[in-house]
Amino acid sequence: MQNVVLKGYKDGYEITLNSDADFNAILAELTKLFAELQLEKEKSEAKSISFDISTGTRLLDAEQKQQVERIVSRYPLFSIHRFTSSVMQIQDALDMIESRTVHLNASTIRNGQVENVNGDVLFVGDLHQGGILRASGNVFTFGKNEGIIHAGYPSDAEAIIIGNIHASQQVRIADVVDIVEEDKIKDSAETVVFVNDLHVLEYTEREKVKMIRPKLFTRMGGY
Amino acid sequence: MGKAIVITSGKGGVGKTTTSANLGTALALSDKKVCLLDLDIGLRNLDVILGLDNRIIYDIVDVVQGRAKLHQALIKDKRFDEKLFLLPAAQNADKSVLKPEEVKDIVDELKPDFDYVLIDCPAGIEQGFINAVAGADMAIVVSTPEISAVRDADRVIGLLEKQGLEEPPMLIINRIRTHMMNDGEVMDVDEITQHLSIKLLGIVFDDDQVISTSNKGEPIVLNEKNLAAQGYRNIARRLQGETVPLMNLDSEKKKGFIQRISAWFKKN
Repeated sequence: MQNVVLKGYKDGYEITLNSDADFNAILAELTKLFAELQLEKEKSEAKSISFDISTGTRLLDAEQKQQVERIVSRYPLFSIHRFTSSVMQIQDALDMIESRTVHLNASTIRNGQVENVNGDVLFVGDLHQGGILRASGNVFTFGKNEGIIHAGYPSDAEAIIIGNIHASQQVRIADVVDIVEEDKIKDSAETVVFVNDLHVLEYTEREKVKMIRPKLFTRMGGY
Repeated sequence: MGKAIVITSGKGGVGKTTTSANLGTALALSDKKVCLLDLDIGLRNLDVILGLDNRIIYDIVDVVQGRAKLHQALIKDKRFDEKLFLLPAAQNADKSVLKPEEVKDIVDELKPDFDYVLIDCPAGIEQGFINAVAGADMAIVVSTPEISAVRDADRVIGLLEKQGLEEPPMLIINRIRTHMMNDGEVMDVDEITQHLSIKLLGIVFDDDQVISTSNKGEPIVLNEKNLAAQGYRNIARRLQGETVPLMNLDSEKKKGFIQRISAWFKKN
């Protein structure tokens, strides 16, 4: 007994599943727990409750999650808010590191080529006309930029671009595009492109990064 | 073992075939055994420029489909005894009749017998291009100083780099009009080379005679005094590892007798 523990916090309920226990035993206990909860609930006023399911050092696969969900779905007043655990798959962890690293990239991106980067990129290569540099995060560039720079691909409007984009063809952030006409943007390595509150691309200077993206600024190690 | 070089450009009309013919001839003149391979199936021209069009009996498609042996299809250019050969393209077929492996097999069969196998690539980046690149050890990208040609060259270089040939591609800038380049109306040699960021193999000046000699089936390189011919000869020498300085953009202006003589001495 006690493979399943229900705890109440001020912001909700959490059910902890003992990670050492047999999963079938857990399911049996869960069934029992919810039956008891339902009985108690019927006495008091009906109000729906949502639970966090914490699995500790065990990772539930999709089918196991379904089994748990099936038990809860018998009771219309109860629902599962989310599953949490203190561990993760190595692959997921690597993906997370990948998407949070600033990747140094020195490639030559020629006409017709697309360079995809997962996460932020510090670009020091050559981006030719007709080439696309596409990052899911921010783009910081010292390189030759004559093509298209796309930050926050496909939908992160928080991403920004810093660098000299005077000679670029287009800048894109998330789903917003701006065509860089000749002499539209000044020839400066400190140009910052971002999406403003109106969801429109805007250009500013490096000093303003602290104001427009405070989170990014602290992540980069500023004060 | 010879070296297979594909001559390509992406854009049409920049002088791939002219370059193939002249470079092949220049190499043959410097005593190398050369085989030209025309892969512009359906629109063959290389035979015409070399003046060998009336001698075609079998073509590359006949070889691939087993109607002829490779040596039967090779046409010998009698002007350069046993030095220059042509494997013509088929005229009544489509580029898709060849597969990359088949072209590679033919190139591999030719390489032991020749010093250079020059592959004339059709315009575009579709099947014909893929076929032409398949057997090559190295690529020469031909561009003119026009922005559209440079842009297409950039695209092609990207594809070539991805293909991973044994040696990185090299650049020939063709049809240079010196007065336009000197006036800054077109990109200059340095700008183009820097933009494409590959090694420059040589430059060739635009010259009316290139067209008129082609019409007669005589590659321009045979005319030693011509500036375009000198460009091609220099390229052939550089391909063989010699260090040859780039031709001067002003040289075309030097029409004076004394300058011409002195320039002539400098070259030797």
